[in-house]
Amino acid sequence: MSLALGVLPWLVSAWLFAVGLYGIVRSRHYVHLIACLAVCQSATYVLLLSIGFRWHAGPPIFYDHPPGSAAVDPVMQALVLTDIVVGAAVSALLLAIALQVHKRRGSVDPQSLRPLRPNR
Amino acid sequence: MSPGLRSLLLLLALALLAPFAWHVAKALPQFGSPTAAYGATVNALGPPLRHVSNMVAAVNFDFRALDTLGEESMLFCAVTGAVVLLRGTRGEGTTQRAGLIPGRAVLARSDAQVLVCRIACTLTMLFGLYMVLHGTVTPGGGFQGGVIIASAVLLLYLAEGYGPWRRLIRSPLLDVLESLGVLLFVGAGAAPLLSGHAAMSNLMPLGHFRDLFSGGVMLVTNFAVGLAVAAGFVMLLLEFLEETRALQSDSLPDEAQR
Repeated sequence: MSLALGVLPWLVSAWLFAVGLYGIVRSRHYVHLIACLAVCQSATYVLLLSIGFRWHAGPPIFYDHPPGSAAVDPVMQALVLTDIVVGAAVSALLLAIALQVHKRRGSVDPQSLRPLRPNR
Repeated sequence: MSPGLRSLLLLLALALLAPFAWHVAKALPQFGSPTAAYGATVNALGPPLRHVSNMVAAVNFDFRALDTLGEESMLFCAVTGAVVLLRGTRGEGTTQRAGLIPGRAVLARSDAQVLVCRIACTLTMLFGLYMVLHGTVTPGGGFQGGVIIASAVLLLYLAEGYGPWRRLIRSPLLDVLESLGVLLFVGAGAAPLLSGHAAMSNLMPLGHFRDLFSGGVMLVTNFAVGLAVAAGFVMLLLEFLEETRALQSDSLPDEAQR
């Protein structure tokens, strides 16, 4: 039981990353591709939070429980926190690019677009 | 490139990377017992050294503030890039009228929607401000609070409709607020240099533990991040909503004849 629980977070993280990567590779639509990238990113959240987790420990916020009591790793939480916000902004940037591609070429299928064609 | 070929390339790349990934996976710490000394040190030294109770904020806004400066620049660049891309083809001109898709009816907002969204907007805005201001004490901080404030602004759009919303939310004001947030962060980091200290050193009075005014320079950097995140996300909302306008006007002149 405890061994299965110890491996589960890594498996969830690997599974999320694999699913997202498969979606990116087989994608036929840029918006779908950006969503798959977000799934890949959530794998990193699970991984980072699992690395910082500690059994029987509270949050790294010493308001309710006194300083010095057991707490999980705050560095990982800080990484995930900034990752989520910056990831959302980068998704917006990618969606803006997809919008421009749709306007210029009339298609958002990566397969029907030639990336290096000069724009006349 | 066909999907089959893409999958083949992926499999090849995975086969190449698999030994290295396995090597890293074997070195992962046991789940539930982290081995990293940095986090434990921050947990032990944060409260006595900085008088703050939120260690995540202490890492973000003081101990690793230089990294957060990088994160904030990334956010700033991503928002700037998205705005430039969207405005680039649309032009600087703005309108306060919502875009219309020909043939689609414009539905009036119901009274219930207006009422619920107005109440929810007020509460969400208050909650966001609370999140930003109490960043060093309780869970929260500039990043989370900024996003909550931006979602309150979106609720305002749902309550008031496009025209009144655009009269309230001005694009130049957002530009100024966003840049001000980044400048404030850089200024708070560079100010200690003037007195011969290292950049990002915490020279302001630290305040009291579990008090709203605790953490010294963290209060400034936390507020700066909140400002930049809130303004940046509202700007993204506004630019994507402006994009609905393009449906009404002409398409790109240089590409239209294709």
